[in-house]
Amino acid sequence: MSRWVTLVLRALLLWLVWWALTDGDATGLLFGGIVSLLVSSLSLVLFPPSPHIIRVHALPGFALFFLSHSLLAAVDVSRRLLSPSLPVTPGYLRAPLSLPEGVPRWLLANTLSLLPGTLSVTLDGDEIELHCLDLTQPVRQEVEQTQRCVAKLFGLTLNPEERG
Amino acid sequence: MTLVLHLVALFLLLTLMLGVVRIWHGPTAADRMLASQLFGTTGVALLLVLAEAQQIPSLRDVALILAVLAVFSAAAFVTRVVRIEGEKTDRHAVKGHDDD
Amino acid sequence: MIDGLIFGLQILLLVSGCFFFALGTLGLFRFNDTLCRIHALTKIDNLGLGLVILALLTMTPSVASGLKTLLIWWVALAASATSAHLVARAVRIHEPSLPDPLREREHKDG
Repeated sequence: MSRWVTLVLRALLLWLVWWALTDGDATGLLFGGIVSLLVSSLSLVLFPPSPHIIRVHALPGFALFFLSHSLLAAVDVSRRLLSPSLPVTPGYLRAPLSLPEGVPRWLLANTLSLLPGTLSVTLDGDEIELHCLDLTQPVRQEVEQTQRCVAKLFGLTLNPEERG
Repeated sequence: MTLVLHLVALFLLLTLMLGVVRIWHGPTAADRMLASQLFGTTGVALLLVLAEAQQIPSLRDVALILAVLAVFSAAAFVTRVVRIEGEKTDRHAVKGHDDD
Repeated sequence: MIDGLIFGLQILLLVSGCFFFALGTLGLFRFNDTLCRIHALTKIDNLGLGLVILALLTMTPSVASGLKTLLIWWVALAASATSAHLVARAVRIHEPSLPDPLREREHKDG
């Protein structure tokens, strides 16, 4: 994607954020537009356009996956917390990453932290280290599923061999 | 509805304070750092509810800033602690700073 | 009738949000190790925040301020996940060597 398209897209997004932050106040929109343009041109220097772009049409699916799973996550922890015996078997686990470096991995790490039973601890080369609340749960499948969802969001195809 | 919102705000303040008391006891620095997370979620919810209950929209800006600052405080904590421990000795040789 | 339904829904969302916030704080007391506490705080409090924000969204006066609330939600989610990760990493680095139970566990698991 050319730099100009990125510039315009970022400026428009920032302008929308400006509009929301000012509670839709129309008087500040011109000023906000100028600021958005300046900030987005600065952002091009600080954060060059990433080769991984979020596919807008895949966003609702990802949001649905994320929301339903984070709901399950909270219910899962609450259930363990409320049962008198406190059934947790915490521990660390390493899982291989097949997503490319950069934005997709960050998103995966942050998403996993909010999904049932996993908490990203370190991103280490092509592996992610997780802290699990219950090691008896099928954590690996969960990680794989999340990776596929993130890949779909960025329009990537995942092969186990494909790395970084 | 305003009454309900005030009650909710009061309840959130209570849980926030209980959480802070627990965090105060630590025992480790990382335990105390959970306060940033607590304020980042409970604090944000409290401010948003208050903004609606008291009709003070600017409290939403405060909530936004609080959420952003929560990350920065965590980042500052991590870089500081990691550097200090790294200076002391190699990271695997550290016997841990837990004082419990 | 519709008003009553909406009111009921708002109350339900607010009360369940409060319930989860209380559980998050309970997690701080019941779990003994830092990482489990982070699990409890991150996940449960986020659901609490989500429920409270859903309730507030039904009262929002304009599209712009609704969008703002959603934006705050998103920032708070990202903030929570990021600080959870950062604190967890700090805990991990301080852990005494942990020879390689990771690898052994991996064999058992896989």
